[in-house]
Amino acid sequence: MKKIAFAQIVSSAIAKSINITVKKALALLALVTMLAACGGDDGSPGNPGEPGGPPADEINALNITIREVVFESGIATVNYRITNETDDPVVGIPSATYLAAQLLPQGFTNAGNASQWQYFTSESCNSSCDGEFIDHKNGQYSYTFSGAFNGMNNIAFMPGATQRIVIKVGGDNLPDGTDLPITNQHYDWQDQGSEPAYTRNLIDMSTCNTCHNDLSFHGSKYNEVETCVTCHNVDKVSNPGNVFAPMVHNKHLTGFPVPLTDCQTCHVADETLTENMNWARVPTMEACGSCHTNIDFPSGQGHPAQVDNSNCVACHNSDWTMSAHSQANTDAVLGQFNAEIVSAELDGDSVNFSVRLSNPATNEVYADSADKLTFINDLRVYANFGISVDYTTRSAKSIKLQDTTPISGSNGVYHYQISGLTLSADPVNDKGALALQGKLCSDQTMLANCADSDSTTTLKSSHQYFSATALTDQGRRVVVTNETCGSCHGDQQLNYHGTRNDLEGQCQLCHNPNMQADASAANPAASTADYKHLAHTLHAGSRESYPDINYPGNIGNCAQCHTTNDSGVLTAALPLNNAVQPLAFNDGTFTSATSAICSACHLNDSAMAHMTQQGGVFKGTEADATAGTESCHTCHGQDAAVDVLKVHPIQ
Amino acid sequence: MFVHKKNTTQLTMLALAISASVSPVFAEGYGLQNANREKANTSKWECKRCVIETGFNGSVGVGAAYNDIDDIHFANASGTDSDGLVGHLDADLNNKSDSGYQTTFVANKLGYDIGSARLETGRIGQYKIGIGYRGLAHYNTNNALTPYSSSGDNLYLPSNWQTGAVTSQMPTLYDDARNVELKTQRDRYLLDAVYKGSFYQADINYQHEKRQGKRTFSGNFLTNSAMLAQPIDDTTDEFGAKIYFNGKGWLIGIDSSFSQYSNDHNSMIWQNAFTPTFGAAYRGQSAVAPDNKAYRVGANAQLSGNGHQVLMYLGVASFTQDDAFLPATVNGPSPALPKASLDGKVDTTDMKLKYNSRVLRGLNIRASYDYSDKDNKTAINPYPQVITDSYYAGTANNPEYDRTKQQVKLAAKYRFNREIYLDAGYQYDHNDYSDLDRDRLRQNGVFAKVNYKISSDWSTWLKAEFSDRTGSAYNPITTTNSQSNPYLRKSYLADRERQQYQLNVSYSSATALSASANVRVSSDDYDDTLVGLTQVDTHGYDISASYLLSDDIIINAYLNQDWRDSDQAGSSNFGLPNWYVNTDEKSTLVGAGIDYRHLLDKKLDLGLEYSYSDGQSDTEVTQGLSSPYGDYFSEKHNINAFAKYQLDEKIALRLDWIFENYQDSDWLNQGLALDAIPNVLIFGDMSSDYNAHYVGFTFSYEL
Repeated sequence: MKKIAFAQIVSSAIAKSINITVKKALALLALVTMLAACGGDDGSPGNPGEPGGPPADEINALNITIREVVFESGIATVNYRITNETDDPVVGIPSATYLAAQLLPQGFTNAGNASQWQYFTSESCNSSCDGEFIDHKNGQYSYTFSGAFNGMNNIAFMPGATQRIVIKVGGDNLPDGTDLPITNQHYDWQDQGSEPAYTRNLIDMSTCNTCHNDLSFHGSKYNEVETCVTCHNVDKVSNPGNVFAPMVHNKHLTGFPVPLTDCQTCHVADETLTENMNWARVPTMEACGSCHTNIDFPSGQGHPAQVDNSNCVACHNSDWTMSAHSQANTDAVLGQFNAEIVSAELDGDSVNFSVRLSNPATNEVYADSADKLTFINDLRVYANFGISVDYTTRSAKSIKLQDTTPISGSNGVYHYQISGLTLSADPVNDKGALALQGKLCSDQTMLANCADSDSTTTLKSSHQYFSATALTDQGRRVVVTNETCGSCHGDQQLNYHGTRNDLEGQCQLCHNPNMQADASAANPAASTADYKHLAHTLHAGSRESYPDINYPGNIGNCAQCHTTNDSGVLTAALPLNNAVQPLAFNDGTFTSATSAICSACHLNDSAMAHMTQQGGVFKGTEADATAGTESCHTCHGQDAAVDVLKVHPIQ
Repeated sequence: MFVHKKNTTQLTMLALAISASVSPVFAEGYGLQNANREKANTSKWECKRCVIETGFNGSVGVGAAYNDIDDIHFANASGTDSDGLVGHLDADLNNKSDSGYQTTFVANKLGYDIGSARLETGRIGQYKIGIGYRGLAHYNTNNALTPYSSSGDNLYLPSNWQTGAVTSQMPTLYDDARNVELKTQRDRYLLDAVYKGSFYQADINYQHEKRQGKRTFSGNFLTNSAMLAQPIDDTTDEFGAKIYFNGKGWLIGIDSSFSQYSNDHNSMIWQNAFTPTFGAAYRGQSAVAPDNKAYRVGANAQLSGNGHQVLMYLGVASFTQDDAFLPATVNGPSPALPKASLDGKVDTTDMKLKYNSRVLRGLNIRASYDYSDKDNKTAINPYPQVITDSYYAGTANNPEYDRTKQQVKLAAKYRFNREIYLDAGYQYDHNDYSDLDRDRLRQNGVFAKVNYKISSDWSTWLKAEFSDRTGSAYNPITTTNSQSNPYLRKSYLADRERQQYQLNVSYSSATALSASANVRVSSDDYDDTLVGLTQVDTHGYDISASYLLSDDIIINAYLNQDWRDSDQAGSSNFGLPNWYVNTDEKSTLVGAGIDYRHLLDKKLDLGLEYSYSDGQSDTEVTQGLSSPYGDYFSEKHNINAFAKYQLDEKIALRLDWIFENYQDSDWLNQGLALDAIPNVLIFGDMSSDYNAHYVGFTFSYEL
């Protein structure tokens, strides 16, 4: 009876294989032989009952839903369903890879040790299969591994342990030619109950992809953290440096765009990840030592000798680790101080402005002026004018409030003046900008008297626009924001020239078109400090002073940095804002604005010839370069045929 | 700083210990039973057939024995840990004059660690003065190995000791390690007097106890630790006085006591066996139990009549210690302490009110109210925290841990007939705390017990109890070094439902056989606990019987088994539970004995007792994978036999034989070498496994 049923299942499975996978006879014969060799084992699952529905006719994304792992006689069969983005079944997936690994719980291998993945196997199906593959022809698939996990890769299968199966499909196409996007899906299970008793969910790939774009490895096959860890563990990789945590830590040691001390840049506090706080709660010499590379724990170099991980947490408890490796203290200190410019107006070539200092935690103003507050290490205001021409000078004027007696003021609002501004042609109808930056003396989470504390906390810089008569919100065009920059650099954590971190509106007070390019430079944009050119060439790795820049994302994804305007259009769109000035050279020549920007990346001769043909001016007179001859937007403008927003791989 | 916290704790613990040892309020004189006896006309109870002999009589004995001490644990059975030949004296002397004066001297195993002697003189029914000595000893192990030797407050390493970062890097460890005995010996000297007047009685007593020995101590330096044999040398003096008056239907009394604890050690100082982790931590210093004092005064009153009885008690006690603080650290400059000494003071107030009444024929009711308050009056100050003599970690205030307990009980007992009665009641407990995760606990409980006398020989009872504990909001305290898991509920503060059932059957008849059996089961359900102790189930039974085979032969046997099964849930990611612990504990006690007297023409008495005891605990941790802990058990076979032969009318020879087969093991140290744990210098394997004999002869002479 059982035999008959089994025979039916096998023959139906074979029939389906014939229909779906369109195998050549030889391959089919091999399959039959293989199935026959499994005779007597009734572990083959039946046809999952769910009706398939009409097959997908368009595939932009694949969803793999793993329904169950059937575990019989130590051999796992995974039953899953593949659909497209609208949940229509995808039939006829031609190939797949199946990974299997086992997780040992935290502390299992020794007190203090982190939980640890153990690789079992990687099996594939394409023209032939390591195990048994069935396409149920309705979007449902089954795969039975080639044998029992126990003993594979010399790892003992442990009943009750958390197990993982990863399915990778895509990168090829359906028999009808439809492309299949590469998709990884993992499934954690255990053999003695429904839910795994423990997990190791530390990081989600979307966190990596805030800075990287669509990160994937090994020929783009693997694109999920959950996939990586099944192989990058001590039981699979021969080099300990390739175990996932040390490997990833090590790869980010140089060129990391934020302070390395902030573990939560990657280990974000995401409560859907059950072990998201492991970075603070499970310190190990493997994880910590991969950044603290000057320490040899067993021999006691750089740290008192520790032969294993059992003691780490005795000193480095989670509170300690969090205070040393996150922004928590900084946030707490900054929460006690706010500096804002509350009024400003032009007075001849001076700007009169007033500053209000307050404590947001208590909602009270600091009654004293900055020169009398003992916790202020540095508080400066910079000023520049001429928004209409993207500022009149590269030398913004500034004063240090901590060293300046205010002109007047009381009870938290004090008045100051910055003189010697360079005015534009029509100052009454033009605007200027004030930028504020500084450092506070602090002790752990509290503000401290600078006489008592050596440690400081850097303020988040800010900027404020003003007209001839008052403050104004509308100032220089907004191209990038602190938020878009922060997707890699953290929330205003990138400091230049000491404490300048307002990448959105502060840098431009000096890094403006008044900066000049080197007329002899091969890539002129890479030789000027004008903000747009600086930012483009710096990230592209084309500046000599930053040779090690290795941009982690796709450099053509303008949206990684550019924000959208009020209409929702990316600020990389053409035509350019009228205020954008041509690129100035140190020999007195100019390149027209759009050509200067595009040629920062597109700098080969044919690209430049194309730009010249379409009205671009390279190293011409200022009059020519500003004559408006560029017709770039006709074809590359917003919604035009080859809109820059379409031809770049923008996500 | 840990040592200062420890001071407070130790005061409290010691104070509790003292209070427990000196304040058994109802232990003697004021108890219900005693009080009733006072009212009774005891002259009618006089033993008409007893012949009171006057003059000098008694016996003295001298004994010699062979004591087989390889493992000092056997001394718990034999009474002395001297190996080989040991001797002792016994005496039971009595001199009584016609005028009623009586003097007695009793000595038992004098010469052994557990020897005792007491001399008493007085006039029967009038006064009595006693002087006595009693030795008490507890022997843990002599299998512990340590490189340290002690002198005064100091524990030294050999002069050529070479430190290591981990235990395996201490090159002379095995050469320097010596066995150390972990045991305590207490010598207790007593002096007491009682005087009885016509309507009053006065008692005074004084006890001086000297304690010596060694116990395990953990000497920590940050992440390194050494197991140390801490010397114990301390004395406790206790003085008690009470007087009470009684008349028909009333009794009042005052009871007071004073105790003083004095530690010969001022601190404990040990060398660091490890290479210092930070700085120059070459030696550590820890506070020891501080000298302290306690006094207590209590007043009692009891009124009874017409089937009503009222009992009242009010007591106050105070516990103080003011030993000078040690510096916060001996390694590097010590942060300033807020005070030179704790000046610790804890006051307690206890009140009890009880009422009993026979309302109707067959119906008794009783009600009681208990109040107990502990008020820590020690000043709260910020004390510097120097983590195990290594680094300064800010300050912490000494917590108060005040508490007030109140308890109300109402119960009634109704006798349906001569065979059956029902006893049922309600109990409410109300506790208020400070500095704990919960400010208040409330518990409601009910019980019922049915007694049924089946026949003149058979009787049985069944008792059932149920209680439900809950309390105020659970707010994990924030004063601890590391935060608690928000789902953790500490078992002593957690909501709990408790059920207990007990069934007892006993047989006793005029014939030779008497027997009883008892079965019990209980369940504690911590119904609101996600992380912590979640469930404790126990069950057990006792069976015992004795049978009088003849006038000269009696045999007895007993069997007792208990099981305890507890479940805990834990979390490795500071959230909901993801690991679980099950602990199964089991104890068995079985024994049998025979006493055969008056053999060989009434010259020979024989006795033989055998007992077997076995306790074990099995713990299994499960987080998907199950990991059982190792062995944790003790198992003992014990034979205790004697033969006493009357050589002539005055002289008797007694032979005692004790045999013990004993084994114990604890996975914490089972099979571990001294350097098995890199950062803990341990005593090694402290398991016991021995067969030991004690064979002794005693000559006794009747005076």
